[in-house]
This record gives sequence, structure tokens and C-alpha cells, in this order.
Amino acid sequence: MANFFKLLKNENMKIYRRLRTWIMMGLVVIIPALVAVLMAVSTGGDTEIGAWDAFTNLTSLFFLVSIFSAIIFADIVASEFTWGTIKLLLIRPWKRSKVLLSKLLAGLIFSLLLTLIFIVVNWALSFLLFKNISTPGVYPAGYSPFSFNLEMLLYRYVDMVIICIFAFMLSTLFRSSGIAIGLAIFLLFAGNILQALLRPEKYAWTKYVLFTNMNLSRYMIGDGSAAGMTLGFSVAVLSVYVIVFLAVSWIVFMRRDVAA
Amino acid sequence: MMSQEPVVRIKGVSKRIGRRTLIDKLDLEIPSGQVYGFLGPNGAGKTTTIRMMVGLMSISEGDIYIGQSSVREDFEGAMKQIGAIVENPEMYKFLTGYQNLLHYARMSPGVTKERIDEVIHRVGLSNRIHEKVKTYSLGMRQRLGVAQAILHRPKLLVLDEPTNGLDPQGIRELRDYLRELAHTEGTTVFVSSHLLSEMELMCDTVAVIKQGKLVDVKVLKTGEETEQQAETAFEVDKPEEAAALLGTGAVDGGSVIITADKEGIAEINARLVAGGIRVYGISKRTRSLEDQFLEMTGGGQIG
Repeated sequence: MANFFKLLKNENMKIYRRLRTWIMMGLVVIIPALVAVLMAVSTGGDTEIGAWDAFTNLTSLFFLVSIFSAIIFADIVASEFTWGTIKLLLIRPWKRSKVLLSKLLAGLIFSLLLTLIFIVVNWALSFLLFKNISTPGVYPAGYSPFSFNLEMLLYRYVDMVIICIFAFMLSTLFRSSGIAIGLAIFLLFAGNILQALLRPEKYAWTKYVLFTNMNLSRYMIGDGSAAGMTLGFSVAVLSVYVIVFLAVSWIVFMRRDVAA
Repeated sequence: MMSQEPVVRIKGVSKRIGRRTLIDKLDLEIPSGQVYGFLGPNGAGKTTTIRMMVGLMSISEGDIYIGQSSVREDFEGAMKQIGAIVENPEMYKFLTGYQNLLHYARMSPGVTKERIDEVIHRVGLSNRIHEKVKTYSLGMRQRLGVAQAILHRPKLLVLDEPTNGLDPQGIRELRDYLRELAHTEGTTVFVSSHLLSEMELMCDTVAVIKQGKLVDVKVLKTGEETEQQAETAFEVDKPEEAAALLGTGAVDGGSVIITADKEGIAEINARLVAGGIRVYGISKRTRSLEDQFLEMTGGGQIG
């Protein structure tokens, strides 16, 4: 197991030794900072928006973390093929399954790190720029501002992981970062539209579509339980999708002939 | 110096993609401590064989053993013994040379920091190793490629078309280096190429493959060449008279061609001189590998 840690170290080196990675991290700090300052300036004072409200608003910028993580996942296998380094990577005394696992884990670590940066930055900005901490009546019954935001972020993180694993699968399937990044970001943005179009009340089969089950946060405010769908149901459906995406990635990566 | 146990045993290996058979029941054994050449026209299956050997391609039928380890059954055990460059050595360009080596060192057991430094020194990259690979010339990348391949002291070094894109000096360096590795450290080198003259200079033994089948195995460096009968050309002023005097030999332009061993050549020369024929030159007519190669694979259609 100590040896497997070395594989992970390699994958991390290949992520964090690239300028691109640091630009992404920089953007995750700068963009929320700009938005927060804009929010503070435009409201004119700290009477209208509370710090937790600001935090909740800034959380909607989580799509930045999703996009950047998806880019890393989309690239992590495909780039080895593009660079040709796959030929040197797969001739080591490591089974392909372990190489792929190290890539998946390195990607997940990156997404966690980016999420943490995002949360810390947003929290700091909210509590620096907006002083009024308690605004009653904003959050649904039974939630404190803290628990509401935590749960919200958890659901957003789940959505992100699903998109990232989808990107990971495309990356191994097509060996092209471009296709994988493009389709993953399409999924990210088209998801909401498709969710609105596919009404489980009308067509029962849409209950099993990926998009219909994403965005778990709607169960928090009692929405989306249409046609008997529950949080548990959606989690189960999403789990099946993730397992299928991973299975496809593994099977394809294990069997692929590395030619020219 | 050479042990009898072959380093590589290719046993009845086939590779089929769809209906096409790229490699057809190939059998080959590579003895240890040699520079072993793998020669064939483009599309003969050299790269396919090498990719199956290092696990980049699956084996449709048969098996390959590296030492005692089967590539199919014990991939990790087999790969521990192999170092390879498959076509151009592609590196992570955004990393330094050192980081690239560190990357591969981490993937093989027992490669220490000292070993990395030793290898860097050995391939002559000490001065530039901490610069990014994107600043390297092709020759330097080739050296880094050799470095990553020998880091873990493999028993077998596999090189696929290693001289592609190298300048004459680079080719020469690589050739000298490979011969040194084989003859001083006992590393077996398996090298594929279509450059015949290069193979002739580099290899001890050459296996010729054509359309996925083994055609011939030729031992090039026996060290007994002087004892053998060889076609010898005597360049003389009057070739017909010379042939008549000797009672043998074929006239070819200004030369008489006679098959003789070392002593025979001296004798014939003495008889010619005694017979009043002026001898301008004596040269051995070894058919080049190229001639032999073309004879063996001659006129083959791409399968």
C-alpha cells in the first residue's frame, strides 16, 4: 500500500506542477472575491444582507469548482495518450487497474482541495464584508444557516463528482481531453434545462434519467418529490450511474491496445 | 559470459485484430547478454511484437516469458525485468528531466536517489537535468529516454526504432552505449529497426520477420570470420589471364572472384604475382546484411 501511495504522488506531481492548475485555483479565489465586493458595494451597507446570506449567494459560484475539476478529470487519462507518455506509463510493474485508480483518486483529491479553498475563501469574504450575521426567515424550517449551507454544499459536491466521473469515463473512452471536457461542461449546464423538460409526473421513465435525479438540494425545500421520487431514490439512481461510468472506464482502460 | 537461459521466450504468439492476423504463431528465444536485432520491412509486425512483449497490446494467442514470468499471468513480475523505449521517448514536457526520472523511479521498486544520479551521469545529462524537458533537443530526450529505461537495472532493454530522428552522432552514441550495456553489464538488448546498416553495426544476432512470421535468425558477430571461406575479389590488370592461370574464379569487371580462406588468399596472391599479373587490390566480398535482407524479404507485398 505504501507503494500505491507513490503512484498517487506521481499523479499529484503531474497535476500540481502545471501552471494551469494554479491558474484554476487562483480563479476560484479571485472570481468570488470580485463578486463579493460587487455585492457589498451595490447593497451600499451591511443592513440588508447578512454574512450567511452572502455566503449562500456566493455558493452559487460553485460551478467554477465543478468546471475546473471536470477539466482535470477529463484530461487525466486522455493527456497521457495525447502526449504519448502512456507508452512509458503502462510498461511499469503496475497493473493497469491500479494506474487508473491512482488517477481517479488524484482527481478526487484535487476536487476536494478546490472545494475546500472555495469554502474557506467564501466564508472569509462573507464574514469580512458583511457584518450582520443573523437574518431570520431566510432558511427553511429546521435548518440553521450553518447546517443549510453545509448540506447545500454537500449536494453540489455530489453533483460535481458525478460530472467528473462522467468526464473521466469519456477521457478513457475517447482519449481526447477536448471531447471529454466539452461533453462534461455541456452536461453541467444542460442538466438544469433537461431537468425542467423531463417531468416525471408526465413520463414515468424519466424518473431513471440521470439529470432528473441530480441537484439533490431540491429535496431540502420539499420540491421535486413528484411522482414518488425521494432523496433515497435519487441517491440510489445516481449511485447506479456512477458505478456504470466507473465500470466502463475500467473495462475500456484494461482492454485497450496502445497502438501508434 | 553468456548464460544459456534465454531472457525472452516468445511461444506461439499470435495477434489478431478483427480478421487480420498481424503476428502469426511467432516463436523466438532471445539469449542473454546480446544485442539482439529485430528486423523487418514496415508493417511486418515488429512494433506489434514489442508492444505485446511490454504489455501495451494484448496477446491473442500464445504467451511471452520474460525470465520465468509470463506477461499474461504475472505482468508485474515480467515488467520488473524490462526497461523500454517504444518509438520516440515521450516525456512530460512541463516537468524537468529529473522530475520525469523521479516519476518512473517511483514506479519501480528499489530505485534510490543515488541510482537516479548515477544514471543521469551515465547518460551525460547532469548539467541540464533540472531544466524542463520542453527545452531539450531530440538527442537529449533520447538520452532521457534511455535513462528512464535503465533506472531499475532491467535484465532486458527493449527499444523500438530507437534511431528514428537521431542525427548520425546521436545514432553512434546510442549504438556504442547499447553495446557497452550488453557487453559490460550483461543487459540483453532487444532492438527493432528497419535501418539495416545500423543493425549490422549494433547487433550480435538478428531475427528477420516478414508479414508476422519469423523468416530467419542470423548470427552476425561470431568472431570466426577470418577462419571462414569467403568470396574474395582480386583486382588485377588482366582478369581473364588471371582466371586462366588459377584455373578457377569468375571474372567480374576488373576483378577475379575466388572463394578462399585466409591462407588461400595469400597463396593465390603469390601465384598471381609469380605469374606476372599485377594485383591492385584484394577485398573480401561479404554480402551486406542489406543484400541478405532483401533476398529474404524480397518483393513482399504489404500484407
